[in-house]
Amino acid sequence: MRIKAKLKGDVVKVKVMAKHEMMTYDIAQKKTGSRDNANFITHWDAHVNGKVALDASTSQFLSKNPIIKFEFKASPLGAKKGDKLEMHWVDLKGHTKDGHTKIK
Amino acid sequence: MERRSFLKAGATAAAVMAVAPTLSAVDHRKAQPDAWKAKNVKDAIKALYGTDATVNEKINVKTPDTAANGGAVPVEVKCDGDFESVAILQDTNPESLVIVFDQNEASIPHYQIKIKMKQSGSVYAVAKGKDGKLYMGKKTLNVALGGCEG
Repeated sequence: MRIKAKLKGDVVKVKVMAKHEMMTYDIAQKKTGSRDNANFITHWDAHVNGKVALDASTSQFLSKNPIIKFEFKASPLGAKKGDKLEMHWVDLKGHTKDGHTKIK
Repeated sequence: MERRSFLKAGATAAAVMAVAPTLSAVDHRKAQPDAWKAKNVKDAIKALYGTDATVNEKINVKTPDTAANGGAVPVEVKCDGDFESVAILQDTNPESLVIVFDQNEASIPHYQIKIKMKQSGSVYAVAKGKDGKLYMGKKTLNVALGGCEG
């Protein structure tokens, strides 16, 4: 997972790139012969100082190796330059991945 | 309120919480499972928010007019106002709902994501305002090469 976070004024802009196949039910059926092999990221969250900066539930229709760009206000979370932004996702099969970056 | 019904869901919810011990408020896949199975946009909005009465304002959906690759169609959604959640949907894939962003006091409802689209169609963004109304924006585009075929 690659993450970039930049603070400008009171707004933190974040770009997240996850490495994930994002296999839909249809593709799973076609490639492996079983819909049960579908797997995709189902929930994302980002935290700064233990507070939620992003909370997203997703379906199979994000692109392969999905990218999410989002923004949040720094002051409600007390986010400053140098603070750690923690990202976390979980997929349909229960695999999880954590990543973090420093807010620049 | 949604969180309470979510917690009441019991054993399954507890199991899910154990797998993903995050501080997130709502996992919409568990709280509104029907919304993710809905085959058209209207049903998905109804399953997600309880009503499909939408107002066409405040939401701006941006995509290219023609997407060369349906496997990664860039979508930008910008909402103007205070919202509880923002959802992005489309009407070409087997199911409609793509993503639901929960909003808190720090959220800025401006998102850019890449989605799959099977064929030419429309992308919708629906946001539930703090005033209880549903706001919707829409963009129709051409997709040259469908993205769900793999």
